[in-house]
Amino acid sequence: MPISAATKAATDAHALHRAPASVSPQEVHKWMQSFNWEFSKNKTKYPTKYHMANDTKEQFKLIAKEYARMESAKDERQFGTLLDGMTRLGAGNRMHPKWGETMKVASNFLEVGEYNAIAASAMLWDSATAAEQKNGYLAQVMDEIRHTNQCAFVNHYYSKHYHDPAGHNDARRTRAIGPLWKGMKRVFADGFISGDAVECSINLQLVGEACFTNPLIVAITEWASANGDEITPTVFLSIETDELRHMANGYQTVVSIANDPAAQKYLNTDLNNAFWTQQKYFTPVLGMLFEYGSKFKVEPWVKTWNRWVYEDWGGIWIGRLGKYGVQSPPSLRDAKQDAYWAHHDLALIAYALWPTGFFRLALPDQEEMQWFEANYPGWYDHYGKIYEEWKALGCEDPKSGFIPFQWLLKNGHEVYVDRVSQVPFCPSLSKSAGSLRIHEYNGRKYSFSDDWGERMWLTEPERYECQSIFEQYDGRELSEIIAEGHGLRSDGKTLIGQPHVRGTDLWTLEDVRRAGVVCSDPLKRH
Amino acid sequence: MSDNRYNSGIMEKNGADFANEFFAEENQVVHESDKVVLVLMKSDEIDAIVEDIILKEGVEINPTIVVEDRTGFWWIKANGKIEVNVADAAALLGKNYSIYDFLVNVSSTIGRAYTLGETFTITSELMGLDRKLVDVS
Repeated sequence: MPISAATKAATDAHALHRAPASVSPQEVHKWMQSFNWEFSKNKTKYPTKYHMANDTKEQFKLIAKEYARMESAKDERQFGTLLDGMTRLGAGNRMHPKWGETMKVASNFLEVGEYNAIAASAMLWDSATAAEQKNGYLAQVMDEIRHTNQCAFVNHYYSKHYHDPAGHNDARRTRAIGPLWKGMKRVFADGFISGDAVECSINLQLVGEACFTNPLIVAITEWASANGDEITPTVFLSIETDELRHMANGYQTVVSIANDPAAQKYLNTDLNNAFWTQQKYFTPVLGMLFEYGSKFKVEPWVKTWNRWVYEDWGGIWIGRLGKYGVQSPPSLRDAKQDAYWAHHDLALIAYALWPTGFFRLALPDQEEMQWFEANYPGWYDHYGKIYEEWKALGCEDPKSGFIPFQWLLKNGHEVYVDRVSQVPFCPSLSKSAGSLRIHEYNGRKYSFSDDWGERMWLTEPERYECQSIFEQYDGRELSEIIAEGHGLRSDGKTLIGQPHVRGTDLWTLEDVRRAGVVCSDPLKRH
Repeated sequence: MSDNRYNSGIMEKNGADFANEFFAEENQVVHESDKVVLVLMKSDEIDAIVEDIILKEGVEINPTIVVEDRTGFWWIKANGKIEVNVADAAALLGKNYSIYDFLVNVSSTIGRAYTLGETFTITSELMGLDRKLVDVS
């Protein structure tokens, strides 16, 4: 059949200039760049003292379609595994109970960090002037929303399947009384979203994500597996598949300011402050969760810290940037002291104050005590003997009327809260870096535990307004505080926190009342 | 024995020996390193890529590559850089497998990671500072 002249012309043209059968996503990414517009006069709600250059790249060449497909594949695999195979295998109740309690803290706290990172990366999207950098930040905003849901889902899953759901469900209601909450808000909220935008990026991306997500989200999965938990590796390793892009965002933030004269003046101080801020909380809390919140140990926490924080983050990220003027953080020496001892200090205080927690803690058994002494020589004489004395005094028994916090006070071991990090510390028992120092400002006294936080407070005293539980509840009896702060299970009388992980001999509000512990602010005695 | 192993150097020491080196004066500052670390979440595809690409062609190109099984993930460390070509992976797996499919299971990187066409690279180079990041040609 003859064809028309028009059809023939079209057919001939197509033969000469064939349209591509498909276009690779990276060609689309390149093509999309012709749609960029001028951001150099970007007006932002979140200014920075640095000048961010506007030619910075996004290292993975993301386009919306491939990003969505990639994240969808991650979610389908993760939720498919959890809701099908893992449920059928009863995986939600097969971990050691000590580890089941650790995940009450780890996943609930990480959820808060992810939630604040949504705002932090959106803030950076607003501040940046390079189109590709904005692209990277925007993908991070969406990632953080995914992560917030993933963390919540871990606790939701545990709530349904784990034999002790209290604390996995609705942990946040205890945030006023739990001494670990406020420090977590300092690193995960204030550090990420308050102040200079680039300083927030250094806190969130260059230190929080490039350094501490490796122990918090990767190494934790080794401990989880060793203790029978298959839920956490399934979710947390999926979370971390987005973190490499966030680390790259943080690195590109540094690239964007590398040639700015302001970087020569401010970058090293901002990096040191961010490193100290993040390590001051993560170092003791992660070490405590891993070593004291597990039955089966992978390796000493100080080795995990040495690998991921000192050798790899320090050498591969910070060390490599040395030729661009980035220096080793001066606080590193104190951070290493903390890596060795701070988690032991914190675990002792956490156990002494167990009724204020939303998780159950257990005393180290004989095998664990030997492990601690072998890996931290001197541990037994300093900490082990105290745990043994507390056990002999009946700290686990609700009929004993003994809560270890009483022992600390009776023996002159006052517990303070560091104003800047909000981490509790006991100067007379501490082997961490630092010592007690007290400042008076506007008629009030404030306690500090180390040089670096003290220096930050002296620079911006009005920034650190969070009250400690001792100031907040000064003069109040402990059972009243717990009832008021929602530290009870659904029966309205049994505490969520417990000093052991058995299903019997649970402490009630009446048991705590009988102990007669009264909260008092140690700063009033200075 | 490679010094890229998970437990090499100071990590082989225990107790007081570890503490002495950890607190040694020369270790109170960071030391520049040209190593890179790649953490791959285990999956059908990744297990095959590790076994048949990274541990074969990868190690031929860069003999410093060390791969260790850390239960839920493969931990990989090397000097300089590690590259994975996803066209090779697609041929191995017998299905379409793009750089974005590979990223589904890349759990962490220490170093500068980037993609270009069908190649994923993690390098100790300071991309964007020492060398420009480029687009596909």
